Amino acid sequence: MGQKRSNLAVAVAAHTALLPLALLTLVPFFWLVTASLKRPEDFFSSMFLPLDPETGAVAWSRLTLENYSRLFLELGIGRALLNSIFLSSATALLATLSCAAGGYALARLKFAGRRAITITVLAALIIPPPLLLAPTYQLLYELGLLDSFTGLILPAIAPAFGVFLFRQATLQSVPNDLIEAARIDGCSEIGIFFSVVLPLVRPMVGAFMLITFLATWNNFVWPQVVLQTADKFPLSVAVSQLKGVYRQDYGLLMAGTCISIFPPAALFLLLQREFISGLTAGAVKG
Amino acid sequence: MSADTPGRRSLAPYALAAPFVLIFAVFIIIPLARAGILALQQTYGPQAAEFVFLNNFTELARDPLFWRAIGNTLIFTLASVFIQLPLALGLAMLLNRPGLRGRGIYRLIFFSPQLMGLVFVATLASIIFEKRSGLLNQVLHWGFGVSLDFPWLQTFVMPTLILTTLWMYVGFNMVYFLAALQNVDKSLLEAASIDGAGPWARFRHVTIPAIRPVASFVVLLSIIGSLQLFELPYVMLNATAGPANRGLTIVMYLYQSGFEVGDLGYASAIGWVLALMLVGFAIVQARLARSET
Amino acid sequence: MRAILEAMARSVSLGVGVILTLALASVMALALWPIPDRPGLEMWIFSPEHQLLYEPALEQRAADNRAHVNMRVIGIPSLKSRMMSAFFAGIPTADLIEIERQMAGQAFTGPIEAVGFADLTELIAQEGLLEQINEPSFGPWTSRGRIFGLPHDVHPVLLGYRADIVEAAGIDVTQIETWDDFKRVLAPLMSDDNDDGDPDRYLLGMWFTDADRLETVMLQGGGRLFDEQGRVTMNTELNARLLAEMITWFVGPDRIAADVPDFSAAGNQLKIEGYAIAYLMPDWMCNIWRLQMPQLEGKVKVMPMPAWEPGGRRTSVWGGTMLGIAKTTERFDESWELAKDLYFSDAIARELYTRNDIVTPIKLYWDDPMFDEPDAYFSGQAKGRMYVDQAPLIPARTSSPYYKLAIDRLRDAAVAIAEWSRSTGTFDRNAIEARCKQELERAESLVRLQMQRNVFLEATP
Repeated sequence: MGQKRSNLAVAVAAHTALLPLALLTLVPFFWLVTASLKRPEDFFSSMFLPLDPETGAVAWSRLTLENYSRLFLELGIGRALLNSIFLSSATALLATLSCAAGGYALARLKFAGRRAITITVLAALIIPPPLLLAPTYQLLYELGLLDSFTGLILPAIAPAFGVFLFRQATLQSVPNDLIEAARIDGCSEIGIFFSVVLPLVRPMVGAFMLITFLATWNNFVWPQVVLQTADKFPLSVAVSQLKGVYRQDYGLLMAGTCISIFPPAALFLLLQREFISGLTAGAVKG
Repeated sequence: MSADTPGRRSLAPYALAAPFVLIFAVFIIIPLARAGILALQQTYGPQAAEFVFLNNFTELARDPLFWRAIGNTLIFTLASVFIQLPLALGLAMLLNRPGLRGRGIYRLIFFSPQLMGLVFVATLASIIFEKRSGLLNQVLHWGFGVSLDFPWLQTFVMPTLILTTLWMYVGFNMVYFLAALQNVDKSLLEAASIDGAGPWARFRHVTIPAIRPVASFVVLLSIIGSLQLFELPYVMLNATAGPANRGLTIVMYLYQSGFEVGDLGYASAIGWVLALMLVGFAIVQARLARSET
Repeated sequence: MRAILEAMARSVSLGVGVILTLALASVMALALWPIPDRPGLEMWIFSPEHQLLYEPALEQRAADNRAHVNMRVIGIPSLKSRMMSAFFAGIPTADLIEIERQMAGQAFTGPIEAVGFADLTELIAQEGLLEQINEPSFGPWTSRGRIFGLPHDVHPVLLGYRADIVEAAGIDVTQIETWDDFKRVLAPLMSDDNDDGDPDRYLLGMWFTDADRLETVMLQGGGRLFDEQGRVTMNTELNARLLAEMITWFVGPDRIAADVPDFSAAGNQLKIEGYAIAYLMPDWMCNIWRLQMPQLEGKVKVMPMPAWEPGGRRTSVWGGTMLGIAKTTERFDESWELAKDLYFSDAIARELYTRNDIVTPIKLYWDDPMFDEPDAYFSGQAKGRMYVDQAPLIPARTSSPYYKLAIDRLRDAAVAIAEWSRSTGTFDRNAIEARCKQELERAESLVRLQMQRNVFLEATP
């Protein structure tokens, strides 16, 4: 009986600590959303929702969608949004395919050079990406890939850590027997990859896709080095433009930020479980 | 039908590995090799390059800005490891209470800042930390009487960065710790409490050893990430390094040297120093982890 | 085959399916809504105000059926990054780019062949533009004797102040001739009415982190970062003295300056509240105030800057914009025509002033009566004439490619001195001046180090 009471006490204590922290974490989001719905003149008059000057109550009628409509109709943020969606999803897709296939090949298939490649990939894990910024820019210039989507996507679809993650996942979840069995059944090697291996590493597929999507979505400095044509820029650049040019129009800036958060947030909600299990799989068991 | 024609058998692995290996070779190995060459050159963009051999490195050794960047980055890294990680662990422990309702929701909430992306967080932060009208100073002023003019983004740049990354990443690290905590063998804990061990002793002798592998992994990740901090301060400080270069980090200096000044060689030299630092930290960390077990 | 598809369906969770769908949908969308091939000249600018300025000229061009112009407003950090990465790689970028003082330095640091802007020296001389334009205006856009851009402006600086507050206190600003007078005459305004220990308002809206403003005031006093030969001259007695005086404005119990940021809603709020009385007001700043703070109409006036000594210069120069043509352009002649249209037409010069408050660098137009019009925002003053009067007197500016480097080091020095002063409580003028000398020497040696390192520029002494 005492156990139950002390359990309750502990639970209450935990919630007492957690709730304020959770609120603290959410406050900036709330501020962001309310700011995006305010008119410029209301921005400083109240902290969150606009207030009626006389009654002090929330003035719901002063909320406005004009920031959003301005963004889409006047400032053409639709194109930047499309660019971001394309870049992020294409990179995520291609990277996942290439890393999953590569990881499987390194883990379970025998071929010449396998050992050398595996060692190189493992060593490459320690390379800090910034080291490659300058020479990659040089290379893209020489290949004529500057100012193109290809130039942004190609260098990103063979990350060492991606193939490492999939190699680990394959080693853990895809036993040799299953592969042998499929071979005996007459399945082609490629067929085995798609029908046997992929379903077994499904959590990692989901996790890695989301990681890559997010990373590409939030990429900011690099696209500006590579791209020149204004119509090719992704959302992250377009929104930071708002900060540069319309610095006093915070509502616009906040609305842009809200638009940028929405797709990653939605995807995260859908891929939550896989993401977390994929993230922690390597660390906790390995 | 076990042995297929050697031709078919031997091509397929190559077909599967090829996309990755090809792109990896072209866009990772080749640039890596060229980074070695670049580090020995001075360039003005990718078109003009002259060999200066080890000059870049001797310059770095006496470049006060570079040392400033290293100092700032190391301070930030220390704060990440020693402030952020314990907080993440604490949060995870709070969430680990058996049968805690809403655990999934809490986890989601704490993880959500990760989703926002550095640019947006930086923009938001630069508004929140602004003097006089920023959210934080307003709260501190009306709640605790702190001066409205508290210069976060001018004098206290590093604390501002630490707070912002705290908000962003504590959830991420918490997820790891939570997963680790949930994997702690309950029977060990029970055995310990039967033996009369109190909560602190149980923590020290059962929990900590059990989560050690994850903890070292998280520490390593955190160090690697912190040493490469760049976009967050860059955007927060409006594409500058802040007053007195307080916000200058190693990768920011790399970027400025390579892409603002145009000296890709100097930038590569900085990159190599960074790589060395990472390798160094990784080795130390591996040694420490191994010695404990 | 079917088995494979079934298996794939099993490996694809909802989220992954969403990403797949997004990928396919966006590819289709891009195919159906391709990146528009925007014909015509591409021009990048950084100021939304300039966009308004050029609009009538662009409409006129459209009416006359001349080449279309895509004008884009891009924030300064982005413009800098895109322009530099394009110049470095020599890849096509915009045809015309309007850039600002600080960005220019970076464009000129490499070998002269690598400068991304087209060399306009001969054209300018041929078309007789050299005589027509105020000479100091070419300064920042000239590198190693070659001119790379058309100057947009002169940008003389006056002192703007809250006439409503000043006159309500019965203060007569004509008594102010020097900076010392300024501090003395306006001192009564720094009262502490709400008794919180801090003055409720300050005299000057400026901070030691604003290296641009520091340089502006230093230039006024004759201090300079480089000499005519391009040698770095940061560490001089004069610079130390000027800097020391300015530092005393920011630190100590007698400080007269406050941090009132520009270009931010927060800073504007402070200006409206009258948190600081006077501000450095180059001609373009008048326009910013006018557009961003309509509430201050009729409450502001301008006056010549207080001089450093009696009879000294009462103006300075701040900022500068040029229009350059990218070397990679395929339509040079059209770009040159556009540049001349935008910068030299009588109509634009008029618009430049009436819309943007900017004084044209073309001396011919300085007689125009529009400068004598009373300006309602500035309490009816004929502020245009006041700026034009100062225009020929602005100090000369360097064209050194290391300008940005020097400004950054100047900022570092100022911040170091100000913070040392505050943390040690040293507010004595002489001690500060000694410290200034130290920091300026350090700054100068850092700049010189970079100058010597550079293998692409001819060694400068």
